[in-house]
Amino acid sequence: MMAGSDRQALRLTGICKSFGAARALDNLSFDVAEGRFFVLFGPSAVGKTTTLRTIAGLTRPDRGRIEIDGRDVTHEPIAGRGVSMVFQSFALYPHLTVYDNFAYPLREEKVARAEIDRRVKETAGMLKLSHRLDRKPNTLSGGEQQRVALGRSLIRHPRVLLLDEPLTNLDAKLRHDMRAELKRLHRQFGMTIIFATPDELEALSMGEEIAVMRDGAVIQRGTPDELYERPANTYVAGKIGSPHMNMVKAVVGGDAATFDTPLGLLTPPVRRQSASPGEAAVIGIRPSDIRLAATGETAIQSRVHLLEPLGDITIVSLEAGGELLRMVLPEATATSIKPGDLASIAIDPNKIHVFRAASGQAMT
Amino acid sequence: MAEGSSIWERLGFRRASGVGEAGWGHAVIAGLISFVYFLPVLIIIITSFKLQTEALAVPPKFLPTSFFGLIPDAYVFTPTLENYTSVFSRSMITGAAAENTGFDRYFFNSIVIASVSVLLALAIGTLAAYGFSRYPLKGNDTYLFVILTTRMLPAIVVIIPVILMFRAAGLSGSYVGIILLYTAFNLPFTIWMMKSFFDELSPDVEDAARLDGSSEAAVFFKVCLPQVVAGLAATFVFGLILTWNEFLFALLLTGVDTRTVPVGMNQAVAGGGIGVLWGLLAAIETLFLIPVFLVTFFLQNHLLRGVTFGTVKR
Repeated sequence: MMAGSDRQALRLTGICKSFGAARALDNLSFDVAEGRFFVLFGPSAVGKTTTLRTIAGLTRPDRGRIEIDGRDVTHEPIAGRGVSMVFQSFALYPHLTVYDNFAYPLREEKVARAEIDRRVKETAGMLKLSHRLDRKPNTLSGGEQQRVALGRSLIRHPRVLLLDEPLTNLDAKLRHDMRAELKRLHRQFGMTIIFATPDELEALSMGEEIAVMRDGAVIQRGTPDELYERPANTYVAGKIGSPHMNMVKAVVGGDAATFDTPLGLLTPPVRRQSASPGEAAVIGIRPSDIRLAATGETAIQSRVHLLEPLGDITIVSLEAGGELLRMVLPEATATSIKPGDLASIAIDPNKIHVFRAASGQAMT
Repeated sequence: MAEGSSIWERLGFRRASGVGEAGWGHAVIAGLISFVYFLPVLIIIITSFKLQTEALAVPPKFLPTSFFGLIPDAYVFTPTLENYTSVFSRSMITGAAAENTGFDRYFFNSIVIASVSVLLALAIGTLAAYGFSRYPLKGNDTYLFVILTTRMLPAIVVIIPVILMFRAAGLSGSYVGIILLYTAFNLPFTIWMMKSFFDELSPDVEDAARLDGSSEAAVFFKVCLPQVVAGLAATFVFGLILTWNEFLFALLLTGVDTRTVPVGMNQAVAGGGIGVLWGLLAAIETLFLIPVFLVTFFLQNHLLRGVTFGTVKR
């Protein structure tokens, strides 16, 4: 757990939900500290949206318990949970102006007219929408629609804000701007945010804490660094980090400390206690943990296949011991090699990840 | 509605925009085709201004004016409003004093019966359609199909049992009876139409309203209904036209007091033994066209959006 607030804004315990024969959430449990920017990360159809809808009360779980601010709201109606949500489709009221979209939740709460007007104008100013108040949503750009959706959620001052892939429908440039905007709003208001995304870059750059979901359950949670440095299994290892981690089959040596791989013997400095001799394993190596070997160093011989220059860095695909590997080189270094070249590479044994071949779980 | 639109545009008139992108060639062809389709209506309108002798003339007299002698007299008739006055009041026997024909009553009946039954069907059908769309039952499609089967038989097939039922229930000749019948008659169409409009709406928007604190009733009235105004208008107009023109049930199930215009029209021209009074018939038809024409005209902007709903990617 991270330091900071120790109050739980949200706690889900053993949530199960099936739609017919399809199991959407499978004994899902996690909690989120107050004021945290919490990311639910996973590919589509993994249960992220169902999780958010369950928190909001739009979907009733088959089993389990939802607590918001320490209060059990599992069977409570949607209103009064203090939760608001931004949908992937924005879900603006198409027949209402921006002003009325903002005012809608306040009018449903029977807030006084003058107060509504004040808060609508304040929200519009904050989101740079003051000049758009009398427009209908379909006349706005994608970024503006996004901000209206955000504003409509923020205007009620929710305790928990749910964001369901809010940036997926925006173009690349806008997405970048909105990431910064969301972080700014989070700092400004300090509410708890649950942000669902299939995009690892969004997850890593925005989340103070990330829960990786698979098959309707959280399989690992932690800070971006924790997930990157210590993935609990091959699934997380493969999802977090770009370009993706190289995975190489290996066998645990007779001493239970070295690993016999197509790249040669690798000996991580920290002994994996749970490794048993002869066991099949998978070695994970980040592309950034492979480098060109210095002269005189023990090196692995490889042949360069492909260079993908990305400006400041270049992704190099190469083949060593029958395995295809990718490594990341600074652009200046990469200019010295070209496809077809032989290259001597070195792997830092400190940085390798070891997983069980059978279960995919990390060996400890 | 565009900003700064004039009162005329808001009423449904459009600003003249020339031939637009299509160009003159297309405009002329479209105009010709429209003319061919409109011709029967035009002939009826022209005939309504002719006396019986001119209406029966061969070759037909086309125009009310000779355009300063340009058109030969054989094709020109003298316009008269006599047919229009005789719609409501005329002498039934040659030489007798003029008497009320009852058509003022028939027009009133047509307007009341058609609008009440179509609005009733719209109210019931919209609620049903929302239910079918948002709270599907087990066997939803079967129910929808069964609803449609009631419209698969020609009216003539079911007319006898309907008459017997109306007799037994004491509904023959009453407003309630014919309004109920037309409501039932319009419901399947209304439900199917409105369901397709509700199906097009994003359920996320409704969920957003629920999160914003709306009750289910508020979700329906404040969020869903305003989004399907075009659909309501289109369904209303189609239903109105069908009901307005209905003849068979009206003939057999309305009484003297509740008779509608199509039935009255039939009796006005069929009786008397002096042949069909074409000018009179045309005058009734022209008057009969006006209410539906006005409704359609004022709803045309909605109508256009209604019938093209879902064909444009939002």
